[in-house]
Amino acid sequence: MSIINSFLDTMASLASQSGFAGFLVDGGWKNIIMILISFVFMYLAIAKGFEPLLLLPISFGMLLTNLPYAEMYHPDFWNYKTVAGNDHYIDYGQILQKGGLLDILYMGVKLQIYPPLIFLGIGAMTDFGPLIASPKSFLMGAAAQGGIFFTFIGAALFGMSAAECGSIAIIGGADGPTSIYVSSRLLTSNSNIGVGTIALAAYTYMALVPIIQPPIMKALTTKKERSVVMGQLRPVSKVEKLIFPILVTIVISLMVPSAAPLVGMLMFGNLLKESGVCDRLVKTAQNELMNIITIFLGVTVGATTQADKIMNIQFAEVMALGVVAFSIGTACGVLLGKLMYVLSGHKINPLIGSAGVSAVPMAARISQKVGQQEVPTNYLLMHAMGPNVAGVIGSAVAAGVLLTIVR
Amino acid sequence: MINFLNTAAQMVAAKSTISPDQKDLGAGTVASVVITGIVVVFIGLVLLILLVSIYGKIFDVINGRAARKAEEAKKAAEAAKAVAKPEPIKAAAPVVEDGIEEETVAVIMAAISAMSSAEGKKLVLKSVKTAKPQRPAWSTAGIIDNTRPF
Repeated sequence: MSIINSFLDTMASLASQSGFAGFLVDGGWKNIIMILISFVFMYLAIAKGFEPLLLLPISFGMLLTNLPYAEMYHPDFWNYKTVAGNDHYIDYGQILQKGGLLDILYMGVKLQIYPPLIFLGIGAMTDFGPLIASPKSFLMGAAAQGGIFFTFIGAALFGMSAAECGSIAIIGGADGPTSIYVSSRLLTSNSNIGVGTIALAAYTYMALVPIIQPPIMKALTTKKERSVVMGQLRPVSKVEKLIFPILVTIVISLMVPSAAPLVGMLMFGNLLKESGVCDRLVKTAQNELMNIITIFLGVTVGATTQADKIMNIQFAEVMALGVVAFSIGTACGVLLGKLMYVLSGHKINPLIGSAGVSAVPMAARISQKVGQQEVPTNYLLMHAMGPNVAGVIGSAVAAGVLLTIVR
Repeated sequence: MINFLNTAAQMVAAKSTISPDQKDLGAGTVASVVITGIVVVFIGLVLLILLVSIYGKIFDVINGRAARKAEEAKKAAEAAKAVAKPEPIKAAAPVVEDGIEEETVAVIMAAISAMSSAEGKKLVLKSVKTAKPQRPAWSTAGIIDNTRPF
């Protein structure tokens, strides 16, 4: 009899410690809903091909973090404490000793290590040739950052805190790593949104670029403007390509020091590539390193999507403001493109302006596609790559400005 | 110049530093963020435009000197060739087979344009499709093996 009793006791305690029991305790139902939401994002990534390299790790991180008692991520470890006058103190000792796998990996996000490393890989893959050949493209890359700052106004109207405004606004830069970089530095434990929310919105909208951009581009341009055929770009010498990353690093880092980690690593990657003597390093930066960091970044950012940070009105606001940020960015780029069309004596196709949002190379492909709908033999791709890579630099500068102002 | 901008940016930033948790940002604060942001981004990128254009020009001059001599000889030859260019024909969209990337079409088009400009003709790309292999790989290998000179 005693054997049966102890068996039943053990079974009962096992059941109460299992994750299933965790769903039944107070607030456990929220985790079930979060797991269902993670399934939706997995579906979008796998079946619909929405930025699968990022959305799949993010959605799986969402699943892992919402499994009760799995203890892979502890949001309370990441709350700011006030220690010796420093109100942004995080107890990394506690995280290293008691943290779960995702806590340890999340340190790379919180300490802003992963986004600059991703930028290293992006730099190693980017050809700045079109931008060097046509430096005017920088203007469109700058204009498209208007989306960031105008969305700041929108977020402030919703009564959000400065950190939330900055984090939502940066979605308009259409740059995932930059969004994560800025939001992980700005958002505090008092914020109602998490880094995961920002990343989800940024990557979802980046996947939706082909749907969001064309209607705006068509609405703002006339058929005549869209039909402008642009000539060939001048060839760029190797020395010019070598000087460019060094020059940009120095100028931007001196001007906006907070942008240095992003711009510096981006240009370091590019210099490795253009030097032509570091093949092994370039390959690692483009492939292995980038892939490893993408996995770490995705799964840990997903882990920050706790039920109480997603299932609130702010999440809806982030999603709404995110699409506004994207649209305004596109519109600003196209409008500056129109201005340049007029000033250049109808030589510049305003469609390449929309590529100023930095989703590389998706935004440039959209310019190419929309342009080809008017003149099938018009190849705008290389012209659009100029504003596109300028947009990457522009959004890093904008990020630096936000980080300098809000702190 | 850069130092000046740097201190200017810092001065502006120091004046309008906002705490992350501050809510209900006033219109003035928001306006200063927006204006500072846009202005700094534009100043940074315009500065880059100037520098990139300047060094682009410098390289043009350096490369130009070397190329000028070669070009002068070419120009004389081209001037003789360039007799009344034909009206450009408006080309229809090339029929592109599914599965061929836009970049591939662009490359093919570029190659054809390069050829046509060399011959002074205007060629039009009408369609792009995958070539069917004339002979299976194994029989190609057999033929190569049998016809290889001793």
